[in-house]
Amino acid sequence: MILVEDVYKRYHTLHGPGHWVLQGVTLSIPPRVNVGLLGRNGAGKSTLLRLIGGIDQPTRGRVERRCRVSWPMGRAGGMVGALSGRQNARFLCRVHGHEDDIPERMASIEDFAELGEAFDEPVSTYSSGMRSRLQFATSLAFDFDVYIADEAISAGDAAFRKKAKRVFRELADHASLILVSHSAGTLKQFCSAGVLLERGRARWFDDVDDAIGAYEGGLPA
Amino acid sequence: MVARAPRPPLAVLLSVWRALFLREAVLRIARERAAWLWLLLEPVAHIAFLIFLFTAIRLRVVGGIDTAVWLIAGLLAFFMFRRPAQRAMGAVDANQVLFTYRQVKPVDAVLMRAAVEGFLMTVIAVLVLACAGFYGLAVVPADPLATLASFAGLWLVGLGFGLVASVASELVPEAGRLIGVTMTPLYFFSGVIFPLDRVPQPYRDVLMLNPVAHGLEATRLAFAPYYRALPETSLAYLYACALAAILLGLALHRRFETSLVTR
Repeated sequence: MILVEDVYKRYHTLHGPGHWVLQGVTLSIPPRVNVGLLGRNGAGKSTLLRLIGGIDQPTRGRVERRCRVSWPMGRAGGMVGALSGRQNARFLCRVHGHEDDIPERMASIEDFAELGEAFDEPVSTYSSGMRSRLQFATSLAFDFDVYIADEAISAGDAAFRKKAKRVFRELADHASLILVSHSAGTLKQFCSAGVLLERGRARWFDDVDDAIGAYEGGLPA
Repeated sequence: MVARAPRPPLAVLLSVWRALFLREAVLRIARERAAWLWLLLEPVAHIAFLIFLFTAIRLRVVGGIDTAVWLIAGLLAFFMFRRPAQRAMGAVDANQVLFTYRQVKPVDAVLMRAAVEGFLMTVIAVLVLACAGFYGLAVVPADPLATLASFAGLWLVGLGFGLVASVASELVPEAGRLIGVTMTPLYFFSGVIFPLDRVPQPYRDVLMLNPVAHGLEATRLAFAPYYRALPETSLAYLYACALAAILLGLALHRRFETSLVTR
């Protein structure tokens, strides 16, 4: 269960406080429901994910996580370019308190990421698809209750998406996914519910198809 | 699914520190080809060059001790301050990517960078002293505990400096440049290569406001008890400055934590 209560967020720029990105977002995301997050560029999708992930604080309002939430997986962030995939994954094992069984977790990460020899190459040499494979593989090793992903799945190829879908179906009894994507196909593939962000507010849809419909209907022709 | 109890905050902190320390050490020691060699060669070359320079101008004795020992003790002590200070200052900027994980706070990155640097500097200091000892210089500290106390004090001042400077340079980029510019004069005003007892009185009091100068003189005195240190030298002042800087730095990190992460 993740509670977002009346959250306002704005960033400070060099010219003083910026405009409000989120204005009174209230959501309660139930457990075991895969949610797709939609909205135009700049609507605040990534901001909301960062707030849910706990790496940023709302200007006003409150976010409560009553479960273990992953870090926001994105195309770029989270991995140190100068270190290899293996070193990055090992660092994350330590940060998440799994010092004792690093070898087992490393084996499962290596297996899922399917990076081959690139696993020992610096992450700066990876393509964005390889980076998101590494991020997903690593986060899946930690048994989170909710996985949050910012455009990360769409960066992978068809085989990876298929594999990710299978894994999340297997996890469905205890873990869920919050996904930002601009691709209606990816959203339909992974999510059952949808949240549409518009003018700083959020609308919940029990069916992701309705969310996609409302999003596309609201676009200027 | 039964809700698992969250890890206690202290366990999270310790595992983050451990992970950051190892990551930082790996990057520092093995990032480029023979990075560890350069880590060692830089201070050694610096010291060797200055000893050569002072021998060339035939300055054999400073304050009653061998110039080479005076230089080695002073330079090692100065590096004990400067290297952690400079590395810690850049820690927030260099570790932005790690703040994707809510367990990792900017202050952790600063603390662990200073810790890695202090650890490496200790190893380097031991190696330099051992080499100088084999070369026949009287570099065995007469008072090892006092040596450790002044090295630790200088490291703590460096840490405090880094904590404050890391916040200042992230929030106000101009402040970062200004702080960077002060490092070179600090090298001279701390009495690394220029004995401060040559400075006439009203000005010397001003120079002795700098805690690093106290640390350097205390280190030399710990190496050779017959060294004529400046009478103002005070370890207590060094530690008081360190404490003040660290408290200020921690307060700044607490206050501006969110702005450091979101930039």
